[in-house]
Amino acid sequence: MTSYANRASPASQNGPASPPSPRLLRAFGAMLRDAWREFLDAKILLLLLGLIGLLFAVALTGRIEPQPAGKNYLDLSARAMAADLEGVDLSQESVASMTGRLNGSLVWITKAEPLLADLPTGQWNVELKRSFVPLVAGPLAAEEVQARFGRIADGQLWRVSQAEETSDSLGRTVGMQSFRLTVEPGADLRLLWPHQFSLFGDSLDLTPPRGAPLGLEVLILQKLLTTGLGGSLLLLVSVVVTAAFVPNMIRKGTLELLLVRPLPRWVLLVMKYVGALVFVTVLLGLLVLAGWLITGILAGIWSPGILLALPTLILFFALLLAVSVCVGVLTRSAVAAMLVTVTYWAVLFIAGQMHNQVVESRFREENIGKLRPTSVVDSLRGAKPRREEPLKAGRVPFHRTAVGRVAEGIYTVLPHTEDLDNLVDRQLMRDLAVSGPFRALVERAEFSWSRRSGSR
Amino acid sequence: MEGLEKRYGQLQALSGVSLEVEPGTLFGLLGQNGAGKTTLIKILLGLVAPTGGRASLLGQPVGGLAARRDVGYLPEDHRLPEYHTAPSLLDFYGALQGLTRRERQARIPPLLEMLGLKGREKLRIRGYSKGMKQRLGLAQALLHRPRVLFLDEPTDGIDPVGRKEIRDVLLEEQRSGVTVFINSHLLGEVEQLCDRVAIMRRGHLLVSGTVAELTHTKPSWLVGFDLPPADLRWEGCRLEPARPGLWRVHLDPPGADSLDRFLAQAHGRGLRLRHLEAERATLEDLYLALATHDRQAP
Repeated sequence: MTSYANRASPASQNGPASPPSPRLLRAFGAMLRDAWREFLDAKILLLLLGLIGLLFAVALTGRIEPQPAGKNYLDLSARAMAADLEGVDLSQESVASMTGRLNGSLVWITKAEPLLADLPTGQWNVELKRSFVPLVAGPLAAEEVQARFGRIADGQLWRVSQAEETSDSLGRTVGMQSFRLTVEPGADLRLLWPHQFSLFGDSLDLTPPRGAPLGLEVLILQKLLTTGLGGSLLLLVSVVVTAAFVPNMIRKGTLELLLVRPLPRWVLLVMKYVGALVFVTVLLGLLVLAGWLITGILAGIWSPGILLALPTLILFFALLLAVSVCVGVLTRSAVAAMLVTVTYWAVLFIAGQMHNQVVESRFREENIGKLRPTSVVDSLRGAKPRREEPLKAGRVPFHRTAVGRVAEGIYTVLPHTEDLDNLVDRQLMRDLAVSGPFRALVERAEFSWSRRSGSR
Repeated sequence: MEGLEKRYGQLQALSGVSLEVEPGTLFGLLGQNGAGKTTLIKILLGLVAPTGGRASLLGQPVGGLAARRDVGYLPEDHRLPEYHTAPSLLDFYGALQGLTRRERQARIPPLLEMLGLKGREKLRIRGYSKGMKQRLGLAQALLHRPRVLFLDEPTDGIDPVGRKEIRDVLLEEQRSGVTVFINSHLLGEVEQLCDRVAIMRRGHLLVSGTVAELTHTKPSWLVGFDLPPADLRWEGCRLEPARPGLWRVHLDPPGADSLDRFLAQAHGRGLRLRHLEAERATLEDLYLALATHDRQAP
């Protein structure tokens, strides 16, 4: 006999510590199936899954066509080789420190013809000239050109399959060499090659006239379908559907039917949480997989970085679900759980954006007077890097304003979900050669050439 | 259970309730709304902890997980998850209860048939009538073959035929040794079904005993004739209309001789007897008497 006198603890805590595990597993399986049924029961789920389906269907009508650009990329490689020959390590040097150091070599393309067509997949016949100051630098062997041309630090635009020198000994003496090369695409060429992206066949063109680098297009498309619009829609649906889970479970008349089972109460709640999470995980998995497949089919690029979006989306939803369950238990209202969760999401989003602003504002302040990087697209269009300018007198940088400080304070306290998103972005950029060191290399090569040709 | 107490803030829901129910009994707990019937059941199920006293179920202290394995419960105003079908819901509860897949597959179809839910396996509970939900509620309570059943208003919202079926099911369970504990305010229902009855009021247990103990024979009789009697002033007895076609006869003095005299008079008046029944006090009479008492002396 147990006496309940003077005891206020919940009844369930008086049982044995935990039931045997096969029993627990069976119960867990049942909870999963129950969550699945409840999930599929929601009409809004079908509606919004339809919307996501539509998004993917529209994406599938997309066409990605390469634009003529071979000459540009051969030029770029020539400039990079010039920097390389000067011993400038493009992966280490900052643009500013390179200024004025390119005194010796100059390399340029005099003739470039595609064997078949101006595509990022075919061979080219190239004629290359190099000028150098005889006393400062020596002549270059064809093998060296073969090894160096098309490489930009750890990236490779072109591979040289054949190289022969066509210059005579007089040219070599006065510092003028010429070479004939046969080049084929390197590993990174296609990602940087400008492509046109259009929907519904050719009828809706989404890119600028000269196209955008394929890697960038793939990145935007993958982001849109997974962590962007597609993921947000799916998470929103999931929040709406799962908000009712706990209030439904603990409403009077339903709760009793669960509490009389030989299971501790916390097990029921945890199982409900995990059950909801498992099914959202399945849906998110399908979403990310579909995003990966679609970009793979459209662009032929199967970089796995986007799969990183799955764990980050799951982690983010686990956080939202925790809030939803907590509010659901406290208020027993699905509407309250949904509204608070969506509000929390909005707060996280805004705090993340503000945090990005603060980071950028700090970065600018630290880099006043230094050159700021330009995007690949801009640099391919010939835009010159600009210097970071100080703010106009009387203006306070964002991170020093009251709003900035409060925003950063809030961000510090809240879960750093923006970091999850940035993590995925960084991985995508690395995979798709859109940013990171390679992007910087392209910019530096371009810059160094501009400086040099300007002084000619 | 001994001296059970339960307080909800200012409200004393149970005060000093002591009761013992023998295994295999069909036990009826009566009382007005708010009398404490449901609270009592919830304590026995371990859903709420009592603030005083002690109780045990099947030899186990209440509230433990072990005690819950052998207990079936049908809550009052239960709301079954509407997205389930009957088989899927029973499968869900069965698994939580610890039944293996094989046990569930073997148990569920005959159970549905027994409760008249066969042929609706594909229908979601959302589309169920109140009666069907009640039957399904009973099914989930019986699913794991519990040794004790707690049923809160089990025949609520069910038509008379359905009630008869459910009574038969409960009697069958009792025959196989299950203890059935019924909360109800349907007095006739309880009277027909239960062996033992207890009546609660305002958290107190007023009376308990067998139905026979609590109901007794009255001195009056109910009679029916082929024609209505012309006047109600008879010798040695008093007649009053009881129900349509039936009259209540108060004999003076009560006894077999007075009854003979009454029958002779009827014969003399040219009335033929069609109905004769000794009147009994029902649970309703007892219940109403207690309720009236309650109103007079709060």
